[in-house]
Amino acid sequence: MSAPLLEVSGLGKRFAARSREAAPWIIRDLCFSVADGEFLTIVGPSGSGKTTLLNMIAQIDTMSEGEVRFRGAAATAANARTLRPGLDGQIGYVMQEDNLLPWRSCLDNVLFPLEVQGKLDDGARARAADLIKIAGLSGYENHYPHELSGGMRKRASLIRTLVYDPPVILMDEPFGALDAQTRAVLQEDLLRLWSLGRKTIIFVTHDIHEAIALGDRTLVLSRGPARVAGEHVINLPRPRDVQGLLADPVFAGLYTRIRSEVK
Amino acid sequence: MSAATPDTESLVTSRNAGRVKVFAAQIALAACLLLAWKWGADHAGETYIADPLNVARRLYEITLNGELLLHSLSTLRLSAIGFAIGCAAGIALPFALRLTPRLTAAIEPYVMASVGVPKYALIPLFILWFGINDAPKLWLVGLLVFYPVFIAVFAGIRSVDGRLLNMARILGASETTIAKSVIWRSLQPFFFSALKIALPRAISAAIIGEFLVGEAGIGFYIENSRQMVDSTGVFTGIVIATVMVLVINALLEFIDKRVNGWRPKDRSMEL
Repeated sequence: MSAPLLEVSGLGKRFAARSREAAPWIIRDLCFSVADGEFLTIVGPSGSGKTTLLNMIAQIDTMSEGEVRFRGAAATAANARTLRPGLDGQIGYVMQEDNLLPWRSCLDNVLFPLEVQGKLDDGARARAADLIKIAGLSGYENHYPHELSGGMRKRASLIRTLVYDPPVILMDEPFGALDAQTRAVLQEDLLRLWSLGRKTIIFVTHDIHEAIALGDRTLVLSRGPARVAGEHVINLPRPRDVQGLLADPVFAGLYTRIRSEVK
Repeated sequence: MSAATPDTESLVTSRNAGRVKVFAAQIALAACLLLAWKWGADHAGETYIADPLNVARRLYEITLNGELLLHSLSTLRLSAIGFAIGCAAGIALPFALRLTPRLTAAIEPYVMASVGVPKYALIPLFILWFGINDAPKLWLVGLLVFYPVFIAVFAGIRSVDGRLLNMARILGASETTIAKSVIWRSLQPFFFSALKIALPRAISAAIIGEFLVGEAGIGFYIENSRQMVDSTGVFTGIVIATVMVLVINALLEFIDKRVNGWRPKDRSMEL
């Protein structure tokens, strides 16, 4: 493997103390790396600090110790005062909530990053139109977020990140709040979109099935403080049929092993 | 929509019928008020309550001789300039305070305490300080507009969804862009509630200022008529001021609907 695109080493996080005792560590001594173009899934029980981890990588939260290197440049606990959210558009982040701007139409939400980055030209508009079509949002360009279904809002928030083409995309249980059918469709959609561009993705979930079905490699996080409790290379051929995997013996083996590690 | 189904057709008809009924009720209410006014004028006498017909005649006269335009424009100019100053300060100050949380915490109780000072009681002071010209009136209008706008914008900035701010930062928005495209936009409902208080207040404050200082404006016209025991003039002035506020409110309502039209509607409040 070539030099990792993103490298997390000795990462630790605890929030400011509320009482006289020091606050507990949420994440401690966390080390892993992600290669360029890799789809890494991270699975862990809820409350294991998965969101906090992504927040630190995206630089919207400070770390307490350790460092995160992106293309060799390190962000450390020492330069906590100079956070660079999203590293100037290099790290995209699809959060748990869709976080669409409620007063902007679907299309204007998708165009928002291009607008604020000063990249809104004809080419960018065409790209946004393409993505809207691929995501099945054609005809809903002028709808406000509250006029869209949960699944459509998720799609809109996903293509809002894809439209400005960040090399790394963080995803925090993006399909968590959806029903099983919509979730399956969106998982397939995500794999299809990913196969077009092969971006580096760090996808966090508490759903073991999802972690195996989507990823090239899965990390298992332990509960508080979060550390890597297991690492699994997912040797399943692509393109994958997310629902059909259930019958695959390789999948079943991985599922059993990961489940024993997620506590 | 091409062909409306029978169902939507009957829905539209019933909705229109509902609107017609409401409109008819409004006209009837206006007629009742006018009749009550006329009855009051007939019984209390011209000195106390002016005859609505005389008021209508007066309105016609001052429209023709240009007095209406002169006084209305004078009041409008005063209200508009005072409003612009008060509103600008009411918006700018909370956004500036956002940058320094410590300073905000330090001065917030003082700003909130100063809300309690009766602004009209300051008029003599303003006259003393700024003289007999537009300045004391502009201070009064500006202050009365400033407070509701300041409080609304301040509360609006605090209530912004932090997740939207983080999202915008990650998407590459600068802090200036975030202030403009996220914070300012999301506090519009707050801002418009403030405007609904501040705009009529600006007109009232201008009129009160004109009672005391100057020789033009609706306030001057009302006060001048009173001094000449011309109750028709007083009532005419009140009517003009009321219409002015109503027109401004309607305009505001129209803009509010366009700016905040994205919000989900409460069906139970629709006709």
